[in-house]
Amino acid sequence: MPQQLAVIVLVDVGNALESQTLNGNTYLFDNMKLQGSQNQGTGDLVTAINGSYWQDGSQASEQVLNWLPYSLGSIPPTVPRGYEAERARQTDEQALAELEDLAVKSSAAGVDAAAELNRIRQSAGRRVKTTRRTRGRLSGQKVLDVTGKVVSNGGTEAHSYPAPVITDIYGQAVDEKVIYPAEYGSPDLVTDGWYWSATVDTSRPGTYAYTMRIQLHRLVQQGGEPLWEPVNLTCESRIRVITEPKRNAFTKAGLGLLPIPPRPFS
Amino acid sequence: MTTKPRLRETGAAAKRPISITAVVDCVGALASHSVHGHLYLYDTNKAGGSTGFGTEELRTKVRRGDQLLWNVLALECEAFVSIDDIVIDRDVIEPERKIYPGTDVAYWIGTVKKDDVQSVPYQIKFKVGTRTDPITTTLSPALFG
Repeated sequence: MPQQLAVIVLVDVGNALESQTLNGNTYLFDNMKLQGSQNQGTGDLVTAINGSYWQDGSQASEQVLNWLPYSLGSIPPTVPRGYEAERARQTDEQALAELEDLAVKSSAAGVDAAAELNRIRQSAGRRVKTTRRTRGRLSGQKVLDVTGKVVSNGGTEAHSYPAPVITDIYGQAVDEKVIYPAEYGSPDLVTDGWYWSATVDTSRPGTYAYTMRIQLHRLVQQGGEPLWEPVNLTCESRIRVITEPKRNAFTKAGLGLLPIPPRPFS
Repeated sequence: MTTKPRLRETGAAAKRPISITAVVDCVGALASHSVHGHLYLYDTNKAGGSTGFGTEELRTKVRRGDQLLWNVLALECEAFVSIDDIVIDRDVIEPERKIYPGTDVAYWIGTVKKDDVQSVPYQIKFKVGTRTDPITTTLSPALFG
């Protein structure tokens, strides 16, 4: 089985949109710290990748890199998949129940139906406008704030930014055919069904740079309706391919070289 | 020819909570029974003057009335981590545990009660993996005014 190496791309989306750059607003991590990756949690990560062979020199399966882009300060990726859609449905149902309640109450004296309707409208939020260019996983969703409540007026309330989306991986490591990146469909719960992955040719040790094209989304108003406007930016990272054999990364089995020799039954 | 309505940016004037995000390397924390060396802290107030990004001693710049929201990310998406408690001077802020509606995923939120706070160090207690006893930060992040 290939060894799955993960690179987390954590973007301070608000600051990146403000300053129009990912430099200084992107923090990169991987799960190869114990194999020698450097500068974890900074914008200057160098991902260490061991060779794809076992400790006796025989051929092992390839090393596979996976990228996971997250938004700093947004609703975390651990909420259930399709959370925005689910919240949109829940708040619609709630509004319908409140409307039913109001229909019963409105004939009674002292009920300000207009004010109540306004309140229900506020708490139901609004769906984001979709254009041909912005169609995708954000289509028809409602805007949420960082605590998961719907935002009723995009102009005056703070909203949670959607997770960044990687749209391309290119540059030296790809040009020199050291990594072969592509986007794949996946049942993965945290990346909305899509992720970027690459196999690595570990036969040529060295440090290679690559560039990620990352799409952020800015909430704008178009003709009085909220709309997620895509903003494309790039950021660079590096891999360092070394000639060490594969290492174990599972807990409770140490960090020895692979394969772990069989232990006699006691 | 029809003209496209102008795009107007929204939310520029909106007061957004300052989010403080802890990134925890769960495998490393479980292996060493400590978050030291396995914790990276960030906030969204870099432009406001926060420092120590990516370290265990993040210093978040705050003012009275600022809403602070703590949440946590696991470095590996299969691993579990949550914030069990935030130990801080309750005269400055009283963080409360809340749940994203319709989920069991928690965040902690509170409002800064004082102006000109000098330096208020605090500790975060994490629940990691299936361990029942929480792991507390060894180096202290802080709020300052």
